[in-house]
Amino acid sequence: MSDGFRLGVFYTIVRPEEKWIFAAAESRGHEVVRVDDADVTFGLDGPAVAADVVVNRSVSHTRSLYAARCFAHDGTPTVNAPDVIELAGDKVLASLRLSERKIPTPKTVVALSPEAALKAIDRVGYPAVLKPAVGSWGRLMAKVSSPEEAEQIIEHKSALSSPVHSVFYVQEFVEKPDRDLRVFVVGSQAIAAMYRHSSDWRTNAARGATTEGAPLTPELRELALRAADAMGGGVLAVDLMESPNGLLVHEVNPTPEFKALTGATGADIAGAIVDYAVGVGRR
Amino acid sequence: MTHCPECDAKVEQRDMVLGEVFPCPDCGTELEVFGTTPFAVQPAPREAEDWGE
Repeated sequence: MSDGFRLGVFYTIVRPEEKWIFAAAESRGHEVVRVDDADVTFGLDGPAVAADVVVNRSVSHTRSLYAARCFAHDGTPTVNAPDVIELAGDKVLASLRLSERKIPTPKTVVALSPEAALKAIDRVGYPAVLKPAVGSWGRLMAKVSSPEEAEQIIEHKSALSSPVHSVFYVQEFVEKPDRDLRVFVVGSQAIAAMYRHSSDWRTNAARGATTEGAPLTPELRELALRAADAMGGGVLAVDLMESPNGLLVHEVNPTPEFKALTGATGADIAGAIVDYAVGVGRR
Repeated sequence: MTHCPECDAKVEQRDMVLGEVFPCPDCGTELEVFGTTPFAVQPAPREAEDWGE
């Protein structure tokens, strides 16, 4: 029996995370309104979907952002809010904000042409890491150890058709243990943390990193909450590295996956997301 | 039950939901459920450049 609350879920594909969100909503008596990001249309004159809140689970940054703006136009709140998706989903904008909030983050230089990219890498120092401004799962990232390598990578990136590849986001290569940390933040709570271990320098779970629960130390909790707050708050996964000089926040994910984290910690993340979204919908 | 559009192997519905992505048990192609009654599958959407978390 539904309690009358309609929780929209905007998705690309249904993974375990989305199934858990559906189940958590239904077990709380809410109606689940499924919104396929490849199927929905938005007009200017009325709500696209009848929902009290929409949880964004689309894996496409572009679709997420436009949809969140359209839902906002409709008067339908979203988790996360459009500004949060825009900021956290773009590594350049996110780095600027982390720096403005004085949150420790790897040394970063942005360049807008292949020629300037070489200068940017020189400023960061070798080895350096080149990342796409948008996208994740460790795709199209490159570690460059010499100017020769840099020239080749920059040439390859320049040959890619998308204009986003003409933005060069260069970061220092941080010497760290063969692991990084992820803290899952929902609203004002850091609810779980895990280590992601990998012999590859990229520790994405999507690249096969192994995971285990990590203690949520006061330092980790405080830094993760500050980073999430810097992006505007909501449902965010804060990724951190253990550098020789302390913890560094290197990414804040606005549409986080949590299958590995749920497995590693047993935390009811889907339930926390649903409860938070219902709170946003009832504001 | 339906068939994989790539290799024609039999694919069982089990407890899959609309939009769920799973590999074909025979050829491994990623398939997406696009109908539950009747059960229907299609190749899953390909990963795009802006996909991620």
